[in-house]
Amino acid sequence: MNTVDEILDYAIDQEQQAADFYEDLAGRVEKGGMKEILMEFSAEEQRHKQRLLAVKSGEHELTPEQEVLDLKISDYLIDVDATDDISYQDALIVAMKRERAAYKLYSDMAEKLPESHLRKVILGLAKEEARHKLFFESEYDERVLRDN
Amino acid sequence: MNLRDLLSPFFVWQRAFEKPYTSIRPTIDRPGAPAYRGFHINVSEECVGCGSCHSICQNHAIDMVPAAEFEGRTGDSGLRPRFDYGRCCWCGLCVDICTAASLRMSNEYAWISEDPDEFHFTAGVDDKPWQNNEHGYRRAEGYHLYPPKRIEMDMLSPDESVQSFEEVARGYSEAQAKLEADRCVECGICVATCPAHMDVPDYIHSIRDGDYEKGLQLMYRTNPFPATCGRICTRRCESVCPVGILGEPVAIRWLKRFIVDQVDAKDYPRILNDQIIESGHRVAIIGAGPGGLSAAYYLRKKGHAVTVFEAGETAGGMLRYGVPSYRLPDADLDKDIAYIVSLGVDIRYNTRIGKDIDFEQLLQDYAAVFLSTGLSVPSNMRIQGEDHARVLSGLQVLADVASGRDPGIGSRVAVIGGGNVAMDAARVSRRLGAEVTILYRRRIADMPADEEEIHESQEEGCNIVPQAIPVEIIAADKPQQVSIKWGEAEMVQDPTGGRPRPVLQEDRMHTDTYDCIISAIGQGSDLDFLSKENQQQLAIEWGKFTPGEYQQSALQKVFVGGDVANRTADAISAIEDGHHAARGIERLLNPDGFTATQTDNTGEPA
Ligand SMILES: Cc1cc2nc3c(=O)[nH]c(=O)nc-3n(C[C@H](O)[C@H](O)[C@H](O)COP(=O)(O)OP(=O)(O)OC[C@H]3O[C@@H](n4cnc5c(N)ncnc54)[C@H](O)[C@@H]3O)c2cc1C
Ligand code: SF4
Ligand code: SF4
Repeated sequence: MNTVDEILDYAIDQEQQAADFYEDLAGRVEKGGMKEILMEFSAEEQRHKQRLLAVKSGEHELTPEQEVLDLKISDYLIDVDATDDISYQDALIVAMKRERAAYKLYSDMAEKLPESHLRKVILGLAKEEARHKLFFESEYDERVLRDN
Repeated sequence: MNLRDLLSPFFVWQRAFEKPYTSIRPTIDRPGAPAYRGFHINVSEECVGCGSCHSICQNHAIDMVPAAEFEGRTGDSGLRPRFDYGRCCWCGLCVDICTAASLRMSNEYAWISEDPDEFHFTAGVDDKPWQNNEHGYRRAEGYHLYPPKRIEMDMLSPDESVQSFEEVARGYSEAQAKLEADRCVECGICVATCPAHMDVPDYIHSIRDGDYEKGLQLMYRTNPFPATCGRICTRRCESVCPVGILGEPVAIRWLKRFIVDQVDAKDYPRILNDQIIESGHRVAIIGAGPGGLSAAYYLRKKGHAVTVFEAGETAGGMLRYGVPSYRLPDADLDKDIAYIVSLGVDIRYNTRIGKDIDFEQLLQDYAAVFLSTGLSVPSNMRIQGEDHARVLSGLQVLADVASGRDPGIGSRVAVIGGGNVAMDAARVSRRLGAEVTILYRRRIADMPADEEEIHESQEEGCNIVPQAIPVEIIAADKPQQVSIKWGEAEMVQDPTGGRPRPVLQEDRMHTDTYDCIISAIGQGSDLDFLSKENQQQLAIEWGKFTPGEYQQSALQKVFVGGDVANRTADAISAIEDGHHAARGIERLLNPDGFTATQTDNTGEPA
């Protein structure tokens, strides 16, 4: 992936894949109310995708320099499987971990690149993913860690 | 008649053309003395509309009137005092009693109008020139018409309390209860805030009158668990009691307990005199916790045959298996339950719906079903090593102790969490002789547990380590021990909103070893007893039902309540949900005879 457009296409495709992943899981889950939550996750991924499409068309700019709060919640949680009887807690863990992996991917990529426009874009994507991670981690903090 | 008499009216007329002796604005140069008792000033944002000013006024010069901008504020009646200056004698009693110290008097005394009906005004709401007057009469600092401090409850000392499971709070004596009852200003703000809308001022009044039977009757109108709530209620009433603005709130919970403690259980049937006329309808209840049993009581009073299905071997739900006996002795919980059962409620113990009987079967066999199954599944921390045998759940430890089993915690334990379950698990561990450390990820002020519980746990020697985030459980050298790795946290404001969030500081990690780790970070519902189809039909969000009006679910026959259907997850909310569902079921079964009351809510979860 050498060009800015290529990397943006890749990122957009990843968001679409994430949206599809949650939609597919929503079709299978057993627990009441789980389907709605997963569809909401899927819609969130679609919003991420729309943002990146706007970046590609030049309507929106990435903000690689902006600091994003890292709650580090998912960093210390175990991996869980996205099974049909997945719980609310585990669904959030899956979501946090996916965003964290994407964030790590882009930041590692950027680290290997020399200072360039491409590097800036990739760093910008890393910050986008950090924001998504924060979104799900805040949700986890509010809902799962309420008593804690 | 002489001539002078005849002419005298005309002399008066001469005067008509002279300069008048009276002036139009006589006081223009005569300001009131600095501490003069003139027109009232009310800081209406601080006033809570308690109406104490209205009650104390001997001249009936104050009416409480609706003030739209304050309607719906928590702990506020939405009313504000309106003064009638045709009646006011400027005694200042209203200022002396004002619970919020929002009311005072200016030193203005001139208000001229030709319309006698005009001398009414709602202080602080109607715009008047004296609103910002700095002079006039205020209550002297430290002067109170009622004692600002509550009567202290006798408690076991922390040294004594950790020796046994004996009840820590000893109860008021009659003299103490009467003194405390005297502090109530009878405003009734608490009634609106209490989820069960208990008639607090009236039952407190029954203490002043020494009429405890009346007090008991009043309580049972909306709450068949007074012995329980008099001990462990989350007492939202006290948090809004206006007496608490300048002093300590009336000890509503302890007064409730006092009344129940005065009445012998064997006298309940005579006092409460619940006459039951059988209706011929059959209603099923799942769960014999406070939600289920409250519904059972009010349904039985309406004559419906009630069968409660309970998975466990006794009734009471989390009040039995969660709340420890040093806060709620079994005998007191049993006093409440025994009366409910005495009305002819049939409890089928050891019967789990979904295993022993299908939910569908209940739908077929009963005219309505109320479901109050609580939250029984402990949340997992989901950190590495959590499945270690020395990691115990707080709920399990409490259930073991409640059932007389030894939870085997050892002599050094760490409790994870900051809610009620964590505090109870910690205090129970102290009573079992262990040294206790509580690790909590946020600040002590953020702990969801009752402030009193936090305080008492500290007094009993539990060491609370705030801003401590567990990250891993590690096997210790000895199999009967376990280590926990945790990191310090900084509280950081989340720019996206919400409360400040703890952020792990990876350069400040610690590892400690304990005999066991008690995880008490929350609990969720177990709804697996419902089929996938039923679950879809019943509208569930994040593991909880979202009831409609009168706790009715999307399935017409099914009503839901208690911890599994509200956000507050406390006993009094479950009790109210049960009462409300009973009213909803009554509406379903007997639509013609049903009339809504003012306190019927619209189904919004509390
Ligand atoms: C440790 C602890 C301390 C607490 N302290 C306080 C306190 O100080 N003040 C306060 O107000 N609240 C407190 N609470 C909360 C309070 O106990 C609950 O809010 C209340 O008990 C909820 O009542 P409920 O009827 O909804 O459910 P529960 O009390 O949980 O009762 C549910 C019942 O349903 C039964 N059940 C579940 N599933 C099935 C099934 N499929 N078939 C048949 N039966 C079933 C269960 O066995 C249980 O008996 C505490 C809770 C805990 C755990
Ligand atoms: S006593 Fe004070 S707080 Fe209460 S209604 Fe009157 S002015 Fe308001
Ligand atoms: S207890 Fe407090 S809130 Fe309730 S009526 Fe008395 S003074 Fe008012």
